[in-house]
Amino acid sequence: MDQALANVRVLDISSSAGGAWCTRLLADLGADVILLEPPGGHPLRSEAPFDLDGRSLVAEYFLANKRAARFDFEAAHCASRLAALAKRVDVVVTSLRPSENARLGLSYAAFDNPGLVVAHITPYGISGKRADIPGNELTVAALSGWAALTGQASSSPLRPVGHQVAFCAGTVAAGSVIAALIAREREGGAGQEVDISELDVMVSAGSPGILRGQYTGHSTPRRDSADVTAGPVPVADGYFALTLSRAHFWRDAMNVLGLHDLAQDPRWETSWYRQAHKDEYSGRVGEAMRGWKKADLFEELAARRVVAGPVLTMEELRSNPHLAERQFWTEADGQDFPGAPFRMSATPWRLRACAPEPPAKEVDAK
Amino acid sequence: MSSPLSGMRGVVLTQAWAGAYCTELLGFMGADIIQVEVRKRPDSWRGAYDAPLAEKLRGGDGLRHPWNCNYLYNSVNLNKRCVTLDLQTAEGAAIFRRMLPLADFVVENFSPRVLNNLGFAYEEMDRIRPGIILCSLSAYGHTGPWANVPGIGGTIEPTSGLSALLGYPGGSPMNSGLMYPDAVAGLNAFTAILAAVRHRSRTGKGQYIDLSMQEANLVFAGEAALEFIRTGRQRERMGNRHPAFAPHGIFPCRGHDRWIAIACQSEPEWQQLLRALGGPGALHVDVFASNSQRKANEDELESALAAITCLQDRDELAERLTAAGVIAAAVFDGLEVAADQGLSERGVIGAVRHPEAGEWPQALVPWRFSRSESPPVRAAPRLGEHSAEVFAELLGMDPGEYERLAGAGITGEGPPD
Repeated sequence: MDQALANVRVLDISSSAGGAWCTRLLADLGADVILLEPPGGHPLRSEAPFDLDGRSLVAEYFLANKRAARFDFEAAHCASRLAALAKRVDVVVTSLRPSENARLGLSYAAFDNPGLVVAHITPYGISGKRADIPGNELTVAALSGWAALTGQASSSPLRPVGHQVAFCAGTVAAGSVIAALIAREREGGAGQEVDISELDVMVSAGSPGILRGQYTGHSTPRRDSADVTAGPVPVADGYFALTLSRAHFWRDAMNVLGLHDLAQDPRWETSWYRQAHKDEYSGRVGEAMRGWKKADLFEELAARRVVAGPVLTMEELRSNPHLAERQFWTEADGQDFPGAPFRMSATPWRLRACAPEPPAKEVDAK
Repeated sequence: MSSPLSGMRGVVLTQAWAGAYCTELLGFMGADIIQVEVRKRPDSWRGAYDAPLAEKLRGGDGLRHPWNCNYLYNSVNLNKRCVTLDLQTAEGAAIFRRMLPLADFVVENFSPRVLNNLGFAYEEMDRIRPGIILCSLSAYGHTGPWANVPGIGGTIEPTSGLSALLGYPGGSPMNSGLMYPDAVAGLNAFTAILAAVRHRSRTGKGQYIDLSMQEANLVFAGEAALEFIRTGRQRERMGNRHPAFAPHGIFPCRGHDRWIAIACQSEPEWQQLLRALGGPGALHVDVFASNSQRKANEDELESALAAITCLQDRDELAERLTAAGVIAAAVFDGLEVAADQGLSERGVIGAVRHPEAGEWPQALVPWRFSRSESPPVRAAPRLGEHSAEVFAELLGMDPGEYERLAGAGITGEGPPD
């Protein structure tokens, strides 16, 4: 079977997780991705945590499915050597801020390849007042509004976990690169630049919270306490989320928990009433839940088509029968990996190789 | 000049967040997105027909219908046309069948059984419209023992491994403040569909895309999954901290609920922070002299830094630190995001005029092309706003026929009569 991006060649000169996720996804969809690493190695290779052999797990995940070659970005004629390489590829992915591009003499015109798609993935985009300010996952979470509404009201705002900003921005960047390739094929082979701001992507991903602020006059606050309507609460062997967003969820869940008086009281059938008076039942519901094991409660509620979710650890997800039957976990070079974010019937996602070893050889510019 | 998906059409059955967001982004790429809704059961993000209006929309001139004025719906359905069609009626299903040959892709986020029960499995759609792309977004995918288990963002965050990672150091697992897994699913479906469109434009062949929200989100927790696979360790909740660098956190500033994010990823950045904060002070001590010492004494480091930041104005401090090259930013709430000049300069925040809800700033296109155009932004459609227009344009339906179908509740505008 063919892959969607077969015959697409990508030169990855990015040094960020956002750039790396973009090219990882392009590679997973069939592109041949050549990663240029500076003599000191890609920055993700030195990012904790590490596996038992001292390899960065971040690099192992984000750099998989790519080929790597050494390239000295500080050496003389860097720009002209990159331009020579860029003549032989369809896409270049970079993560440099505008001042850094200027310092190295890199520009779309300098690549001198009219069909080339160049994707810039930077914290704040390559235009606008923040273009040259350094940023990272934390500052993008702060400026996009995601941190302010995550966490407890009594404590500090919380950023999303791990590299969520890189994942979201890398996914949008990969989509935008594919769109630019579609446009190129439709329009006589002309390439273009794609400017992806990680901040713009996270603002877009938070669009419901932003418009809510406008219509209501106040921003979404952080939660004032852990309660059953706001996220996971403790059960006998872990934590469990029961969102109770519809009348039948409420009724069936209360019956399963043995709180029949709550199930029968018609006042609780209205969603806004439940939200407004949650102090009246949260304690009792939480106490009833603590008697349950999470898998048992999930099974009982799922049978009644009530939306619910146990907090699963990686150990539980690795042995999860549903993911096993769907063959989610995959393998490359004899190593296990998380699998595909989506299943395409004709042009499947495919992990072909582990992250490359740090390259010892200079790239062959011929 | 045109947009990458100019001339393409999606007939989509998406609702709530994940699916609706995906198809909004495809609309921003230039596709004609026709969203099919049902009068007797409005999109849950339009809310109940008798729901109260949001505070700022109460009073004033003009008629405001709650189902056209929900901030949830109106935030993720820009640049679409909305038709209503009851697919559970024979006539409704027949009309949908006539629309399919005019579609390049279909996107839906029903429970897995629904589309089959309506008679529109992928094989049937591909027979009606060879080369069609169908993307299904569901909680757990269309196969496997959990295929029919219902889920939403608030329950997928726990079952994908993300909630176990989110929380304060030593604290309980949490969900994010919005139903983040929906956004993740929508972004992944968007990219998958573009890949399928490219394949189709080269080969003429369509395909089926099965997106499980659980899997898409687990992929975004993938580095922690790989950590477990390789080391047997479950990654601990670490709040705003970074596995390697310190400081890396969110610190209080002067005033109520004012915060600043500060991160140092190298020794030079730490020295820049010290210089920008001025000194000497509590940070100029041996226990904070190197990154490994700061990481080992992170509680004390954070207290000492907070004791300095809490006396300072958030915006003035953010300005001073970023000018000094420190990675830092004010923590914005939603109102501040909407009012930020830098974001409107980028075009990702802009005013959108909705015929009932009025004009408000909202999140727009999250990418910029140097050559391809973005179509003009259009407000989210009112319920059934484009029913008559689309059926006339696509199917040549005459007004009499439309009125008859609207009278029968199969299509029309707004709630059932």
